[in-house]
Amino acid sequence: MNILATALGHVDYLVAVALFLIGAWILVTSGNLVKKVIGLNVMETSVFAFIVTTGMIDGGAPPLVVEGMEGPYASPLPHALVLTGIVVAVSITSLALVLILRVKSQFGSIELDEIVPTDEARGDADSDAVGGDDD
Amino acid sequence: MNARRRTARILAFALLAALAGPLIHGVLQLPAPGSADAPAHANVTANYVERGAESGGAENLVTGVLLNFRALDTFGEVIVIFTAWLAAAAVAGAVSETGRRAIPVSPVVDYVIRALGPFIAAFALFVIVNGHVLPGGGFQGGVVLGAMLILLSLVLGPAPVAGAFSARHWAWLRATGVLVFAATAVIGLALTGHLFGLPAEPVLRKSLMIVLELGIGIGGGAVLAGLFFAVSGVQRS
Repeated sequence: MNILATALGHVDYLVAVALFLIGAWILVTSGNLVKKVIGLNVMETSVFAFIVTTGMIDGGAPPLVVEGMEGPYASPLPHALVLTGIVVAVSITSLALVLILRVKSQFGSIELDEIVPTDEARGDADSDAVGGDDD
Repeated sequence: MNARRRTARILAFALLAALAGPLIHGVLQLPAPGSADAPAHANVTANYVERGAESGGAENLVTGVLLNFRALDTFGEVIVIFTAWLAAAAVAGAVSETGRRAIPVSPVVDYVIRALGPFIAAFALFVIVNGHVLPGGGFQGGVVLGAMLILLSLVLGPAPVAGAFSARHWAWLRATGVLVFAATAVIGLALTGHLFGLPAEPVLRKSLMIVLELGIGIGGGAVLAGLFFAVSGVQRS
């Protein structure tokens, strides 16, 4: 019961962990290069969500020291760090997409199975040729 | 699904399950989100909140952290996104022109986006120059600017937007963030004796910060548009 209460109190962090694992699952299991990039982005977003969440404070105000904004303020440092992180994530994504375009123009496909045919995939192709379908 | 892929999936699931345990355990050890004793509110942050507005020179503490306390970090960030464009443009130059076609949009969408363009640009400028008082700043405004350019090139086709400036001028625009940041770093060195230092005189400091934000915003927007052009294959250099 106690651990359930703790988990409920930390639900924001647990959502970030879940998103991270979902992103990692897409990244690892998907054979499509664009889907891999999407998975990577989901992972990055989960980390950003986690870091921003650490900076929030109950009943807090945005860190703007102007009239009408009273403390406690949310921590400004995680926001600044995540801004840096987002810029890096955008850079990675765009570079990855351009590289995928290059792969597409070179190999005619963005499916890993078709770019690097495995032994079994070749076997599949053979069985396809004789009319088999084991998928 | 063939056997090999199924094995790979089972292995991936086992790996992620093994990863999930420590992650969840570690996350539960942290102070609950929103509590005042979280590590993110102690030490250096407490100092930023207490004296950041005064010594950082911006009422928006995030801007103060970005442009003042962690200016070197932000300089690196500007260089990263500029380098990403350089690399993307270099790779895109080697991609052959295949399978790219303009997708016609409905006249309504076309008209609305043309009409909205100036307002989006004005909003981007507002976000950039008010970055030290209100939520926003160079990067945020730059992203709005870049989004406007991308939106316009989706509707009008990328060629007219990319053709607004020559390739050489685009390159200079994209380097704006890096160049302005480097210039302010040197100006800070001359005025205060510290690299990236901002002068204590309020008007001078504020105008220097706005110039910095404008540089980051224009550079960021142009780089984002450039990344889009690189992916859509309009601009090769």
